[in-house]
Amino acid sequence: MQFKDQVDFIRRHIKKNKLRVFMTVLAATMGTAFLIVLASVGFGLHETLRDEVQSNRIITEIQVHASDESKEPSEQVGAFKEMAHVKAVVNRQRINAIQHSRLGEYTGSHEIVVTDFTEEARVGFALKEGRLPEKANEVVVGSDFGASMYLEMENENDEFVTYDGDLIGQQFIYQIGDYQTGNVFDEEIPFTIVGVGEYPAKDWQQDRSIYADRAMLVKMEEIYDAHIEEKQEDFKFIYNNVTVYADKVENVSTLANELKEEGYWVYSIADELKQMDVFFLALKAGLIFVGTIAILIASIGIFNTMTMAVTERTREIGVMKAIGANPKLIQRLFLMESAWIGIVGTLLAVAISYAVSTVANYLLPIIVAAALGEEDLGGMNVTFSVIPWQLVLIASAISIGVAMISGWRPARKATKIDVINALRQEL
Amino acid sequence: MIHVRNLHHSFSIGKKGKEKQVPVLKGISFDIAAGEIVSIVGRSGSGKSTLLHIMAGFLKPDSGDIRVADVTTSAFSEVESAKFRLDHYGFVFQNFQLMPGLTAFENVELPLVLKGIGKKERQQKVQGIMDNVGLKDVQDHYPNELSGGQQQRVSIARALITDPPVIFADEPTGSLDSETEQDVLLLIQSLNKSRGITFVIITHDDEVAHTADRIYRMHDGELVEGGVTRAI
Ligand SMILES: Nc1ncnc2c1ncn2[C@@H]1O[C@H](COP(=O)(O)OP(=O)(O)OP(=O)(O)O)[C@@H](O)[C@H]1O
Ligand SMILES: [Mg+2]
Repeated sequence: MQFKDQVDFIRRHIKKNKLRVFMTVLAATMGTAFLIVLASVGFGLHETLRDEVQSNRIITEIQVHASDESKEPSEQVGAFKEMAHVKAVVNRQRINAIQHSRLGEYTGSHEIVVTDFTEEARVGFALKEGRLPEKANEVVVGSDFGASMYLEMENENDEFVTYDGDLIGQQFIYQIGDYQTGNVFDEEIPFTIVGVGEYPAKDWQQDRSIYADRAMLVKMEEIYDAHIEEKQEDFKFIYNNVTVYADKVENVSTLANELKEEGYWVYSIADELKQMDVFFLALKAGLIFVGTIAILIASIGIFNTMTMAVTERTREIGVMKAIGANPKLIQRLFLMESAWIGIVGTLLAVAISYAVSTVANYLLPIIVAAALGEEDLGGMNVTFSVIPWQLVLIASAISIGVAMISGWRPARKATKIDVINALRQEL
Repeated sequence: MIHVRNLHHSFSIGKKGKEKQVPVLKGISFDIAAGEIVSIVGRSGSGKSTLLHIMAGFLKPDSGDIRVADVTTSAFSEVESAKFRLDHYGFVFQNFQLMPGLTAFENVELPLVLKGIGKKERQQKVQGIMDNVGLKDVQDHYPNELSGGQQQRVSIARALITDPPVIFADEPTGSLDSETEQDVLLLIQSLNKSRGITFVIITHDDEVAHTADRIYRMHDGELVEGGVTRAI
C-alpha cells in the first residue's frame, strides 16, 4: 500500500469519527499545553533571575574575603596580581565615619570609595562623562551625586531642591565625622569633579558615591585619629573589598578554586549561576514530570479511542486480511492513527502554549503591580513564562511518544484479529 | 492446478480442561484443474467452509498439504499467506463483505490499493471491470444503497480486479433470490469462459452445483467426486 493511500485511509476513519477523535485530540492538547505552560514558568523564572544576576555584576569578577585560615586579602593585592589569568585586582575601600559634602549652597552625605584607578581602568570603569582622576584631589562621582545634593530648606514644607547644574570641573568640600558623638570635624578636603559615573544597570539602583584615589585615605585617617583619642575595641576605620577579575569567563572558576585553596572565601557570579542552574534544573524536571502526568491521563483517552476503533472495525479488518492485507500494514495504519492524534494534539498545544505564555507575560506584571498597589514592578524586568525550543522538543517527544505507546496495544490487537471470526460478524 | 492431499482438521470444543476434539476433515485429497468451475456440495455442518478456509490460508490444517502450481501454500506463515492471497486469489462471500465506508467503486479498488498500485492505473482498471459486470450506473453508491445482487456483483468485481487465477466463493448466491442467483451464476460462467479463471464454489444448492464442470460431495468429513455435469 502506498504511503499516500495509507494517509488517505486514516483520514477517512478520522472523518468518520470526527467527534470522538476531536475529543481525544482535545485531551492530548490540554495535557501537552499544561506541561509546556507549567514548565515555561520554570524557564521564565530562571531567565529572569539569570538576567538579574548578570546585569548586576561583571561576569569575570570574583569577590575575595578573608577567612580564619587565610591572609588578609587587602594585603595580598600584589600577590593576586601575579596569579595566572588575573586581569586586574581592585580593592575598593570604604571608611567607617560620618561623611559630609558641600557644593556651594548644596549639601549631601556621600560615601567615599577609595580605589586604584589604573586597575579600575583595566576592567572598564564606565563613565557617563569626563575622565578618570589623575591627581590626588580629583574624583569621579556616581550618577546620582547631584540628585542627592540638597539646598537647605527655609521652611519645613518647602520642596526639596536638588543640584542639577554641571558637575564636571566643580569643586566641593568633603568632611568626615565621628558616628559615636555625631561631630563633624573642621578639616575640609577640597575635591574637584573630573568625571561622572554611568547609571547603574537597574533603574531602582542609585550611585551617589565619590570615587577617590587611594592617596586620600591616609589623610582621612590622620584627621580621624587627631580627633579621637581612644577607639573602641574592634573598631575598624577602613573596610576593604577586594575583587579579582579574571581575564576570560572560562577562567573564572579555575581562578576562584585557586583562591579557595588558599583559604579565602570567594564569591563569583560563576558560582552563583552554577548553584542557580542546578536548582532550576531540578525545578524544571519536577514541573515537566507533573506535566507528564497530565499527558498520561490524556493517553487513557487515546487508548480507549483506539481500542474502540479496532473493535468497531473488526469485520473490516477481517475483510482486509482475507483479501490479503499484510498484518504489519494493519498495525501500522492504527499506529499512524494514534500518532496523528499525538501530533495534532502537540501542534495545537504548542500554538496555545505560546499564546498563553505571551498573554501571561503581558498581563501578570500588570496584575501583580496592581495587587501590590504600585505603578510597575520598579523596573524589574520579570518574565513569567519562557518557552525555549528545547521545551517544545521535550514536550513533543513525550506527547507523541505517549500517544504511540497507548496506540500500540490496540494496534497489536488489530493484527491478531481472526479472519474467520471477523467475517462471521453480523453487518 | 490445486492439489489437496490428505487434509485433516479437527476443532476442540467445550470448556477449558474438558475440551473435546471434533474431527471435521478426515483425510481429504482432491485436485482442481486450471480453468475449471468446481463446486463443493454437502449438508450444513459437513465442513465445506472449513475446507475453503484452509485452502485460503485463513486456518492452518492439523496435517496434510496443499500445493498450488508448484508452491506448498499450507506451509506458509501468516504474512506469506496474506501476500499469496493478494496476488493469486479472489474471494466472494455469502454476505458480500463489502466495506461500508467505501463506495462500490472504492470497494473494487481496495485490493489494488493494498497492492500499492498507483491511482491512475487503479481507476482505469476498476472502470473497465465496472462496465464489464454492469455496475457503471451505481459505482458511486455505498453498499447500503445497493441491492443484494448489486452488492454481490461488486464483491465479484473486487475478487476479479487483481486478475487472480483462482476465485473462491462460499455460498455466493446464498442471500439472493432465484432470479438474481441466475444472473450471478451466468456472470461467473462468462468470466470463467472469457478470462479462464478457476472458480471454487461452495454451495448446498444442487442447482448451483450443476453449473460447475466438476462436483465434489462432502460427507462425514470426506470428499467424493460426483461427476462432470456441466449443464449447457
Ligand atoms: N471455530 C470452530 N470451533 C469449533 N467448531 C467449529 C468451528 N468452526 C466450525 N466448526 C464446526 O465444524 C463443522 C464444519 O463447519 P463448517 O462451517 O465448515 O460447515 P459448512 O459445511 O460450511 O456448513 P454450512 O453449509 O452451514 O455453512 C461444524 O460442525 C461446526 O460446528
Ligand atoms: Mg459454510
